[in-house]
Amino acid sequence: MNSGRHGMGNKLKKGVPFKGTSFSDLLAGLIYVLIAASVLVFILWPSIAIMVKSVYYDGQFTLAEYIKLFTQNKQLLLNSIFVSVFSTVLAVVIGLFIALFVSHSQNRGKRLTFAVLLLTMISPPFVSALSYIMLFGRRGIITYHLLGLTINPYGWHGVVIMQALGHASLAALIILGVLRGIDKSLEQASLDLGADSLRTLLKITIPLAKPGIIAAALIAFIQSLADFGTPAIIGGNFSVLATEAYMNVIGLYNLPRAAAMGTLLMIPALLMFIIYRRTVENSEYFSLRVSTESPLKLSRGVNYSLALVTASFILFQLIQYITILWGAFAKTWGVDFSFSLRHIQAVEASRLAAFGRSLEYALIAALVGTLLGMIIAYMVARKKFPGYRTLDFLVTLPYMIPGPFLGIAYVLAFHNKPLILTGTAFIVVANCIYRQLPISTRAGTAVLTQLNPETEYSARDLGASEITAFKDIILPSLKPAFLLGFVNTFTTTMTTIGAIIFLVVPGSEVATVQMFNAIKTGQIGVSAVLANMIILVTLLINLVFSYFILRSPRYGGREKREETYVPAIDGIK
Amino acid sequence: MYLQLMGLSKSYNNTMAVEDLHLELEKGELLSILGPSGCGKTTTLRMVGGFIPADSGKVILEGRDISLIPPNLRPTATVFQSYALFPHMNVIQNVCYGLKFQKRGKKEMLAQGEEMLEMVGLKHYRNKPVNQLSGGEQQRVALARAMVMNPKVLLLDEPLSNLDAKLRQKMRKEIRDIQKELGITTVYVTHDQEEALSISDHIAVMNHGRLEQVGTPKTVYDSPASRFVAEFIGRINFLAGKGEQISAVRPERITLSEVSGSLPGIIAQKQFTGAYTTYFVRVNDRTVEVDVPSLADREWNPDDAVYLSY
Repeated sequence: MNSGRHGMGNKLKKGVPFKGTSFSDLLAGLIYVLIAASVLVFILWPSIAIMVKSVYYDGQFTLAEYIKLFTQNKQLLLNSIFVSVFSTVLAVVIGLFIALFVSHSQNRGKRLTFAVLLLTMISPPFVSALSYIMLFGRRGIITYHLLGLTINPYGWHGVVIMQALGHASLAALIILGVLRGIDKSLEQASLDLGADSLRTLLKITIPLAKPGIIAAALIAFIQSLADFGTPAIIGGNFSVLATEAYMNVIGLYNLPRAAAMGTLLMIPALLMFIIYRRTVENSEYFSLRVSTESPLKLSRGVNYSLALVTASFILFQLIQYITILWGAFAKTWGVDFSFSLRHIQAVEASRLAAFGRSLEYALIAALVGTLLGMIIAYMVARKKFPGYRTLDFLVTLPYMIPGPFLGIAYVLAFHNKPLILTGTAFIVVANCIYRQLPISTRAGTAVLTQLNPETEYSARDLGASEITAFKDIILPSLKPAFLLGFVNTFTTTMTTIGAIIFLVVPGSEVATVQMFNAIKTGQIGVSAVLANMIILVTLLINLVFSYFILRSPRYGGREKREETYVPAIDGIK
Repeated sequence: MYLQLMGLSKSYNNTMAVEDLHLELEKGELLSILGPSGCGKTTTLRMVGGFIPADSGKVILEGRDISLIPPNLRPTATVFQSYALFPHMNVIQNVCYGLKFQKRGKKEMLAQGEEMLEMVGLKHYRNKPVNQLSGGEQQRVALARAMVMNPKVLLLDEPLSNLDAKLRQKMRKEIRDIQKELGITTVYVTHDQEEALSISDHIAVMNHGRLEQVGTPKTVYDSPASRFVAEFIGRINFLAGKGEQISAVRPERITLSEVSGSLPGIIAQKQFTGAYTTYFVRVNDRTVEVDVPSLADREWNPDDAVYLSY
């Protein structure tokens, strides 16, 4: 054997030092430590800060704020829970119908339905609230112009309905993900044993989809609880915890009160999460692989009911978008519907600047946040060094923390030395990054657990350092997860308001805050223009990015992409 | 000795996976580590490759202790059970991946990669995505990718276990041919005793993390050092001999006769397997397996009375 040709042998002869002392391995270690530290600073510390602030202020420990909340403000709590439970049940039922339609029906409308579901994921907040006013308001096109009614549309009814419809898409996508993973032969076995298709659906398919249904309910519940846009705009005199927390920070600057409300918002969310963990983690009867066999053939009646609910949902969503688009070009909504460009002309420089800021924040948050998520996924799924379970838990935490909680928490955590960050762009971006970290990380770990560790061993074996192996092998395999993380973080940063409304300062607002203010001051036309701009730009960037990521034809077929799609989850919409 | 494993031990959660293992290889030799799943053979291979640090013991290559060298700098190359091909790269990119780290010119890299592909007979698949290859072809790419590194030791982890029986035999021969041609020192992990017998210079039989026996295939087959080795490699009958002694006899070492022999028995069942027929003969309370070449003049049927000689 000619050892002169042997590269590694040569290295060996030069006296390569012992294990772990190479520069690149040190660098890798440093990166891990820094990332773990950043999780402590931007997730753990704010969560502690808000809880402390709610019971300790003016130099003493007191439960006064909680006592006030449970006595004087009891109605607030009840309102929040009532609206959340009601809208969650509705959202999950509608979502289940749609998911069953997409997974089981032979109709041609499946693709359209899927597209509409994805489209609704990128709407900015208050689109539903805005269109609700435009359709059913005092001068609403349906109530006033079509039916000739003059009714007061403000109150809990609208909040429940609009939240339910808004969260139904996400619920449908989550349930669909689970339905697709169910082994189709189980349905066939049920038919074979004599059950008809309806019974099979009720006794086999839906019970098997339970993890998805519970997950969907959990997320819808937390989102409703955290949603302050919808009740703020169409709630009228009906207030909930989230809107009051906002008033207490922005209007009254009563931080202990806001902190107590934020902490309270977290408790039901945490309870739901524990229940979810208990039920879902014990059920192992669904696999991630998609079975290729065709699903259960449904009877006509079942098929029609599913199609009816789905069609109504899609129709409603389309009406909503058409209304928003129309509103941008109507002279004065509710009075004069003639074509006009005056609202577009009214979008002046300051609003454009806010829009540019949104775009900039969203791009930075998406790139940095997703990369961070991928590295953490690698740390958790592969490195498994001491404390990785704690890291995993901390990274998951923002998933169950309602948006306003984390917004208020950031205000409280970063307005004192040594970390004075309030009022900076950095804190806004950091908030968006760490709030979406659970999604990116989960997507990453899902891919990594499917990837055989031998593939990395192999790269290491062939001479790659740890960092090189990550770059060459792990990152390319993570492409679908990276795409998902990017799309999710970008979209939510473009469309979020719940957390960052507490963090942006006047003069450096973002597009959603501008839009919120426009709606609150009754500028329907301008709001509609801003909504359209946000939708179009978000859609465009997501498409362009997806194109570049998925352009390489070698890895991952079409099915794979759809399968790894875990829908974007926003704490507040 | 070219490669020495000196007292390697590894435990997981207080369970010994490998216990005080000593093995030696000459340059150019192929040694199989054979054993049932969970016997510690893959752990051993991973310790040689540097993926799992040993709790104690050393790996010595050419007289130098390489135990603490990380896998990327260790002059070993592994072919993994799953092949571990990089799914986002094509055939030649996979094969040339490791050469990148040796700072070669691009042309030289490609030339070496192609030379190796030619050797495994896949030159025409140069630009194919690896997930479009069959199992056998993927296996060859994995082999080429490891061999192109010109490693001092080649490590093969159950390389043929994902292939069907026919292809397994074919690849077995190919691997042995290439290994001999390049004179590359190889450790070959397998649970398939037939594979180990046919491909190896020496076989190390492991059980419960311990070495049971090392020897040439013939020694291990003909003179098993323990009951475990005797039962694991091939089939064996334990026959009560004279007095207390029990003798272990391979099925093909027994002959049947209707007139005379050392033990009387009754044919219980017969299985035709092609080259020979296996008779299950009831002798007292036990069943003895006897292989008789199918070309033999005499055939027996169930319930025939026979005598066994060995």
